[in-house]
Amino acid sequence: MNLKQSTRRQLFQSCGIGLGKLSLASLLASDLASAASSDSASSDTANPQASGPLGGLHYPAKIKRVIYLFMAGAPSQLDLFDHKPKLTELEGKPIPPSVIAGQRYAFIQSNAAVLSPRFKFQRHGDCGAELAETLPHLAGVADDLAIIRSVHTDQFNHAPAQIFVNTGSPIPGRPAMGSWLTYGIGSEAADLPGFVVLKSGGNLSGGAAMWSNGFLPGQHQGVPFRSSGDPILHVANPDGISRQTQRASLDLLTNLNQRRFDALHLGGIQSRIESYEMAYRMQARAPELMDFSGESEDTLAMYGSSRDDAGSFAKNCLLARRLAERGVRFIQLYHAGWDHHSNVEAGLKTQCKQVDQGCAALVKDLKQRGMLDETLVVWGGEFGRTPMVESSAALGRSLGRDHHPQAFTMWMAGGGIRSGQTIGKTDDLGFHPVEDAVHVHDIQATILHQLGIDHERLTFTYAGRPFRLTDVHGQVIKKLVG
Amino acid sequence: MTVGCSVCVGIYPATAESPTTTAPTASNPDFNRDVRPILAKHCFTCHGPDEGAREAGLRLDSQAGSRADLGGYQAIAPGESKASELIARVAAEDLDLRMPPADSHPPLSPDDIDTLRRWIDGGARYTTHWSFVPPQSSQPPEVANGDWCRGPIDRFVLQRMQAAGLSPSRPADKHALVRRVYLDLIGVPPTVEQVHRFVTDTHPESYERLVDRLLASPDYGERFARPWLDLARYSDTNGYEKDRPRTIWPYRDWVIDALNDDQPFDQFSIEQLAGDMLPAATREQRIATGFHRNTMLNEEGGIDPLEYRFYAMVDRVATTGTVWMGVTTGCAQCHTHKYDPITHTDYYALMALMDNANEPEMNADPAAVIDRRQRLEHQIEQLEQQIVQQEILGDGAPAAARQAFEAWRSEQLQTVSHWQTVAPLAAQSTMPLLSVQDDGTVLASGDATKRDVYTLTMPAVETDQPITAIRIEALPHASLPAKGPGLAFYEGRRGDFFLSELKLSSSDSAIGLSAGTTSVPGADAKNGKTYPGNVLDSEGSTGWSIPGDAGQAQRLVIRMDPPRKLDESWTVEMLFERHYVAGLGHFRIDVTSDPNSVAMSLPSSLQQSLVSDDTDELQTQLATQYLRSADAVADLRKSIDRLRKQLPDDVRTLVMQERPDANHRVTRRHHRGEYLQPKEAVTPAIPDVFADSTDQQPTDRLELARWLVSPANPLVGRVTVNRAWREFFDHGIVRTAGDFGTQSDPPTHPQLLDQLATAFTDDSALGGRWSIKRLHREIVLSSTYRQATGPPPATDPMNRLLSVFPYRRYDAERIRDSFLSASGMLSRQIGGPSVHPPQPESVIEMAYGKPSWPTSTGADRYRRSLYTFSKRTAPFAAYTTFDAPSGELCIARRDRSTTPLQALTLLNDAMYLEIAQGLADQAVRDVGGQTADEQESMSTQRRIARRLFQRLLVRSPSESELDAILDFYQSQSEHEQPWMLVARVLMNTDEAITTP
Repeated sequence: MNLKQSTRRQLFQSCGIGLGKLSLASLLASDLASAASSDSASSDTANPQASGPLGGLHYPAKIKRVIYLFMAGAPSQLDLFDHKPKLTELEGKPIPPSVIAGQRYAFIQSNAAVLSPRFKFQRHGDCGAELAETLPHLAGVADDLAIIRSVHTDQFNHAPAQIFVNTGSPIPGRPAMGSWLTYGIGSEAADLPGFVVLKSGGNLSGGAAMWSNGFLPGQHQGVPFRSSGDPILHVANPDGISRQTQRASLDLLTNLNQRRFDALHLGGIQSRIESYEMAYRMQARAPELMDFSGESEDTLAMYGSSRDDAGSFAKNCLLARRLAERGVRFIQLYHAGWDHHSNVEAGLKTQCKQVDQGCAALVKDLKQRGMLDETLVVWGGEFGRTPMVESSAALGRSLGRDHHPQAFTMWMAGGGIRSGQTIGKTDDLGFHPVEDAVHVHDIQATILHQLGIDHERLTFTYAGRPFRLTDVHGQVIKKLVG
Repeated sequence: MTVGCSVCVGIYPATAESPTTTAPTASNPDFNRDVRPILAKHCFTCHGPDEGAREAGLRLDSQAGSRADLGGYQAIAPGESKASELIARVAAEDLDLRMPPADSHPPLSPDDIDTLRRWIDGGARYTTHWSFVPPQSSQPPEVANGDWCRGPIDRFVLQRMQAAGLSPSRPADKHALVRRVYLDLIGVPPTVEQVHRFVTDTHPESYERLVDRLLASPDYGERFARPWLDLARYSDTNGYEKDRPRTIWPYRDWVIDALNDDQPFDQFSIEQLAGDMLPAATREQRIATGFHRNTMLNEEGGIDPLEYRFYAMVDRVATTGTVWMGVTTGCAQCHTHKYDPITHTDYYALMALMDNANEPEMNADPAAVIDRRQRLEHQIEQLEQQIVQQEILGDGAPAAARQAFEAWRSEQLQTVSHWQTVAPLAAQSTMPLLSVQDDGTVLASGDATKRDVYTLTMPAVETDQPITAIRIEALPHASLPAKGPGLAFYEGRRGDFFLSELKLSSSDSAIGLSAGTTSVPGADAKNGKTYPGNVLDSEGSTGWSIPGDAGQAQRLVIRMDPPRKLDESWTVEMLFERHYVAGLGHFRIDVTSDPNSVAMSLPSSLQQSLVSDDTDELQTQLATQYLRSADAVADLRKSIDRLRKQLPDDVRTLVMQERPDANHRVTRRHHRGEYLQPKEAVTPAIPDVFADSTDQQPTDRLELARWLVSPANPLVGRVTVNRAWREFFDHGIVRTAGDFGTQSDPPTHPQLLDQLATAFTDDSALGGRWSIKRLHREIVLSSTYRQATGPPPATDPMNRLLSVFPYRRYDAERIRDSFLSASGMLSRQIGGPSVHPPQPESVIEMAYGKPSWPTSTGADRYRRSLYTFSKRTAPFAAYTTFDAPSGELCIARRDRSTTPLQALTLLNDAMYLEIAQGLADQAVRDVGGQTADEQESMSTQRRIARRLFQRLLVRSPSESELDAILDFYQSQSEHEQPWMLVARVLMNTDEAITTP
């Protein structure tokens, strides 16, 4: 559909859907929308979820939304998920040259010695998932998880690797996954953005490139919720401006804009009027979103949060559930601080304490509310960590692990996936996948697939050629969804 | 290359056609648009330009090749698809016969086969895509109602309108026109007085005279610098994780100046691409090469620096393609382009043309900074000499002070050794180019890695006594990052180095060494970064370096253990190993036979003098050094230190510098575009498709730059005028931004495009001579531009034919600038370091490392938005919300979205509230200085409201608009700042941010 050629009302009529089903983001006209290209299958045009340029979904959607828990900095899979007793056996010995030859590392030298797992592992749930002792809460929902131990990536530095997971390219400038989704299929959130970003923990390496709309129309930009002040920039009225004054101001504004529309009959003016009304509704909706007084003590306790807790990962998990309830399409939580070049043991203890309870509670909470079936929860970092120890006198490091793009672990939970299984296997050193290798592009293809999108057919023509999230790669992980 | 008017016929739509039927008809596929992509995707790998891969001697990428006799039959028999082997093979049922081979490639779709069949039946002509054919000038058409037309532009535009049954809109009224042309040419609206002067000017050429004034205004350069900086992907930070600040604003200022000077576009281009290579290149021409230094720099610890240099080169090739050729080269990074005639090898040959440069910094101090520094340095010198004479050396100096100095002097004398500089016979390394300078020092340049080894071949040294020690002196140099002495240009401190290990050998046997001393303070045995013994411990992670500020000279002395003669050639091996580039950039090697030599903090030149001279001048130099460094005289130098602190920092901007012949960079083809898959070396060249058009094949960056703006490049004129057109009419004549390739939209006015392009590039006396201002002038003087705005006609809903002036929202920067200007708050200062207007703290908090945002005060708070500090990973939110780019990609055209977040920004951002307050105050002052306490009369209120409206929107409000505004004003009478509320509403109107 060419938004530019139609007024908004025509748009509604031709889509046959009401305001509530259209996303805030995809609702408003953008002149780039006319550049959209997609060879949509459109077998499912009646599907109310499809309000983006796809027109219809490629497959029946198994879920409505994604909550992506991004563990920025790269957690050590060898100490949390991928148990390798062989590392204990080889502790202190150099890794065989045949294994390490030709690999690039960020900090360590190729003669670095093996470091044993830092924690005890145990099997959990009916499925017998093997998890480290530092993840007791996650162990409680083991049967709801599908753990993938054979993920690998192309990038061995944080910023490019984080951007790669989010955009399919290591170089900033491409659209983020959430932008692709709201562009492709819109959102069900009426008064909130369709792509929301939450942050906790320390520094984020990838920066704004991770929620950039790239060359997609501007309204598909991810909206970072701010940890201090208004969750959405400027959503609260400034000091000295009451809600009544705001309303009166908007009334005068609409009056003046309507006169201009009546004189010029330009659809763009109508869009502007609508955008101000939506902004006003967003202002009304945001405080309610952030008001946790309706959450029970039990719920707060389950997450390990409290009403006055601001900005913790646990609180963000609970906020993610509230955003999910309000129809936000792609909710991304970043928790930074996993970059354990030194003392990986102490670092992981701290991080797991901050994260374990919140993500387990999110899975449980969604399940209790009957929302897990329509939500995909994804957990993972940008790469893994080395079986070899990192130590450096100049940097004051010891007993750490370096970046390891060759293998790492992610898990998913929720709609349409076969939970209670562990997919993929690495070699005895945890160095390379030896079974069911899963590339980052495969993860992206799978997420899109669960939403009913063929990743090869969601494209956008920019600068003379079509682009897509998965570049020219990616395969749906059959074992996970089949 | 086929060049002929037969092409034009097929490409340019006949004038009688409706605007939407320029696409080839279903029965007659267009070679470039429809056929070439199919052949490229399925056939060219084995039957294309690559001779090595060619199968069965058949090539399908050229017309001649496709007709070749294959032994009684042809792949393509023109007009006869049934007789064409190509069709027989792609449609074959038998998998053994079918092409492409079934085992490696899926078959063609029935639609694709049908397209090929119809194309062959229609004659199977291989045509050249219109944009690769040089533009032809044509006479502006004769049109009915020619009175409307003021110049050639109008004739071409009106002809297309009339052919579609449309006619032009009425002219815009004078208020709309004056606001439009101000905002379009200088980026700010006219003042109330300027409006009045224009609307009451009855001179027949009042508009022309206004346009000329605006083109001559320095604001013009600031206005048009912005879209150029979008193309140049300008930013004030490096990008990626750390995203540290960089200094490249001298390049931004160069762009503003060049546009204000109306530097011809060919010269403007050459200077930016290769200014350093021009004969006797000026400082400005070298600053201009910052264009391609706007690429990002990954400073994350542990990266492979050459990988990110490769990505920067990929960006440079893509940006050059977009800006000067309007062709996407991106696909060809990984494989031969499916759509456009650019092969995989072409791509790397183009890269090779630009690849042979080093990327240094250069001093770009503005004149004021130079003056200030010289003045201060002179003051410091005078003060030093004054203190030296009065307090240390002179007759009137206190005796105790003189004695203390003498004690220091004799201590130095006792410590100093005789050192002999040894210049290497040869200096090699694993990566950087090491050159031995005339003074015996070694200077590194070019690329470097995280682990580099320097191997110096040293001559025999004639000495009477055994040599007891070797001294390595790290020295600053102007060519190094932050002046050195190291090569570190990312992650760590710029100019840092880290000597991990040092080995000496002679006749293949190691020379025994032991830890000596260093001039670096606090270098005890526990210090992993400074202790001299670290370079002998076989442990790469410890070493010798200089913590603290860049640009220092320091010394390391390592002892020969035992002392020995070096009367045969010997070798120095230095290992630099860190998680970032850490080689030494400039250093000297000395040896001594003195048994007690140490590394002194005294500069080497003074050490040298101390052992050889004894003059008054030396005495003064020593006393000056004493004054600068000795603890005993710390109080004496306080006044000097204060002056020293006032010395302005160097302004060091990023530039390109062509490499010396000794270090020519080899560019390789990268399989699948991957950094880790370099293949054969490529010869620098322009893409083959353009090679026939020129006798002089470019072989380096300067020749490429000259070729790009020569008649041999059929695209540059069209691409440039198209960009100019877009600045005024929202869309270009070719609508696909930055793409003129086979997949682009055909031009809406092809003859106009060519007419403008040929006139623009015409170097003759009557030609446009590449003048951008002249081009802009011609556009804004046209009747097309002077039409009123309104809804496009139903038959041309996209307004391709411009029968009405296009409605569009202004970009983020012009929105803020026009509000600042309307309020009278706008600072008119041009150029200089970027500034920090207010924004919520939470914006910058999202960035890595929680950088500060030092909110500007005073006039800097209200500079034009072009000067707002641009941080790539946390861009200024008020601009991003309105589709401003982050400087990560070359942007040929910004999106113009409409979102609720924009509404929230203009309504609630404190920055805009401050401007609203300023605007309200100004309007009240204009009308006669009412204060909030006094009761304003109704008529005063009306005058204030009208004035406020005019300041912002230029036109006067209607009476009913005024009534509505005053109703609101009165309803807010309890508010402390009701006029601010009015200003705020007006700033949020659609009219305030869109074209009048």
